[in-house]
Amino acid sequence: MMRDHLSVIFLPTNKCNVNCEYCFEDKTDDRMTHEQLAAVITKLLDFMEQGDIGSLTLHWQGGEIMTMPVEWFETAYDLINDLAHARGRHIEHGLQSNMIGYTPRWNDIIARMFGNHVGTSMDFPNLYRKLFRGGPNDYTRIWKQKIKMARDAGIGIGVIAVTNRETLELGAERLYSYFVDELGITDFQVNTPFPGGEANTTKKDLAVENEALGRFFNDLTDIWIERGRGRGVNVGPIDQLVARFSGKDSCLPCIWQMNCVDEFIAIDARGYVAQCDCWVTSYPEYFFGNIFEWDSLSDLLKNSPARKEFADRPLSIVDQDCIECDHLSVCHGGCPVRTYTYKKTLLEKDPFCSFYKTLFSHIDGVAARLALNGSLPDRFDQASLDVSESSSIGTDLRSIRAGARQASPHPQTLVQIEPRRQAIVK
Amino acid sequence: MNSVIYNIPAEQVSEFRGQRIIVRSLDPGEIVRELSDECLDDVQFVRLLSPKVAPDALATLARWGRSVPLDIVLDDPASEFPLLYNFAKLLDKHPIRVTIAVKPGFGKAVKLALALHFAVKLDVGQPDPQLIDEMNDVLDVFLHRASVSQPVEYFHSIFLSLYRQEPTSLWIVQEDDPELYRFITDAGVEKLSPRFGGSGPAGITDAQAAESVTAGSRGELECDACQFLFACGGYFKWPDRNYECRGVKSIFSTIDEAAAELRESVAGLAASQGGFQS
Repeated sequence: MMRDHLSVIFLPTNKCNVNCEYCFEDKTDDRMTHEQLAAVITKLLDFMEQGDIGSLTLHWQGGEIMTMPVEWFETAYDLINDLAHARGRHIEHGLQSNMIGYTPRWNDIIARMFGNHVGTSMDFPNLYRKLFRGGPNDYTRIWKQKIKMARDAGIGIGVIAVTNRETLELGAERLYSYFVDELGITDFQVNTPFPGGEANTTKKDLAVENEALGRFFNDLTDIWIERGRGRGVNVGPIDQLVARFSGKDSCLPCIWQMNCVDEFIAIDARGYVAQCDCWVTSYPEYFFGNIFEWDSLSDLLKNSPARKEFADRPLSIVDQDCIECDHLSVCHGGCPVRTYTYKKTLLEKDPFCSFYKTLFSHIDGVAARLALNGSLPDRFDQASLDVSESSSIGTDLRSIRAGARQASPHPQTLVQIEPRRQAIVK
Repeated sequence: MNSVIYNIPAEQVSEFRGQRIIVRSLDPGEIVRELSDECLDDVQFVRLLSPKVAPDALATLARWGRSVPLDIVLDDPASEFPLLYNFAKLLDKHPIRVTIAVKPGFGKAVKLALALHFAVKLDVGQPDPQLIDEMNDVLDVFLHRASVSQPVEYFHSIFLSLYRQEPTSLWIVQEDDPELYRFITDAGVEKLSPRFGGSGPAGITDAQAAESVTAGSRGELECDACQFLFACGGYFKWPDRNYECRGVKSIFSTIDEAAAELRESVAGLAASQGGFQS
């Protein structure tokens, strides 16, 4: 069962055009046909009807999405629209690409289908992103060229950066300056490492360095507050955490949802369904099933033992020590795939726990200071409003708005692969 | 329509058409079956008597498509609280409150309910000192944890009452006021709130109950001298009239201090800004 919105991380190809050392994906040459696409979309629409789910976003990625022809997407877009309109539904699309294969031929479909926005990835410094021929510097050079071309064409670019040991050594100021001042990127998100999939020496190097991560992200928070906040620079997840701790609407990444099993699924080019792109490309033992082998996605999900494990994870771990944590409402035990990758079980909390706590506490303090300085009036205004308008003879349940979570994440932006598209589109 | 709200089993919905009702059941499917569109306006909320609900039954509620408020009862909170995660997905469609029995370990249930952005009502009897300690911990979370965005009753209403220095009624807040709430047993017998020890109109008259509630506990030495009688109304003197209130009064005092602190802060801020603009 999902909530009112369904997000699907959709991998129509498992093929990639680059050779990154830390990639977690088990790549294949599989690619979805339009007939297979139509079958998938039809089952997603059935699923929405059965579950009274109002809207759907397809987050397109791979493999590498731009290994497929532009023409494939043009046909796919019309096909999806026809199927959705026939059922009175609307489907939104998001795009994540490494941009190495980008040419201006993509511009029209990016504008029409993907809201003229692409999410991409680049680290600072880039140690592990490589072409099949050439090292990280070649990759970075080409990526910069392609990003410039796309931005010159008016395409909005969001970047995900993954920290590595040198990132932490160089410090937050260098990373911020690189993206914002040097590259002019005003929308980026910094993620922790995820050394999933088949082990190699690079991945063994991606240890959990909670203390260093805590210092780095706290510094990045302070730098963003000083130089980026209110000036059109979005730095995830920091900007969203500041909003969250200020009592404003926010959109936290998928690692901190109440239960990601209620939020999205991933479907790959072979039709395998799993919790997210990390699972569907790395861990076959946790596939939920194959959508081509089931008449109904509902039945596939309902009968999946693996999915039940995901659904039960928060229930199983909350009483370990999360229940005593001040930040339970933000984190809910963290990311299952990071837990599984480092701990080989789902039934423990995220190994980055102490880093998260450091960051949450720091940002809580930042939000409080902003409120005191009058920079974020919502915290106080909301408190005074509650006091002045609430009844003092009990809480009328009918006055509690359905979905009145303190932070109502916009479902389109729940998935990490596509940070804050909402902010750019709107 | 009279003003009484009847807490009824779902199977008796048709017998209370036109009355204000709270509909209770162990089975979400039964609730959905019994509540037709025509009677939804009468429903104050539906009460799910246990969080132990099969996924299919939960899916029934999610598909219901009616934004009827849902009250989930945790009678054994220490063991049942993780099950609240199963209801998080319903928040988009239903306002949700969790009624939590104040029993050892209930604090965990409150913390999780709040983390999931559910409102909370404490089903509190006459707590012993150990439970008072746990209630104080929960009160601290409610008053001071910045992430808390939903009310915890009865703390919330008492806080507002003390902040505004207005009277309130714990009997109403706790949905036990005999003038407003009646409990209909599975056999169809009308009773007062279970707080009155299971008495029905035959055991304790409406007038007697109303007198007890509205007059607080006149004649009870402790109540006469209690500064919180205006809000409590002798609530904690039921069902054991000899209950010693020191613990619950400490909770009232903590809430009172917090309300005074906020009042002072708001006044100070207003003064520093030359008064609030309306």
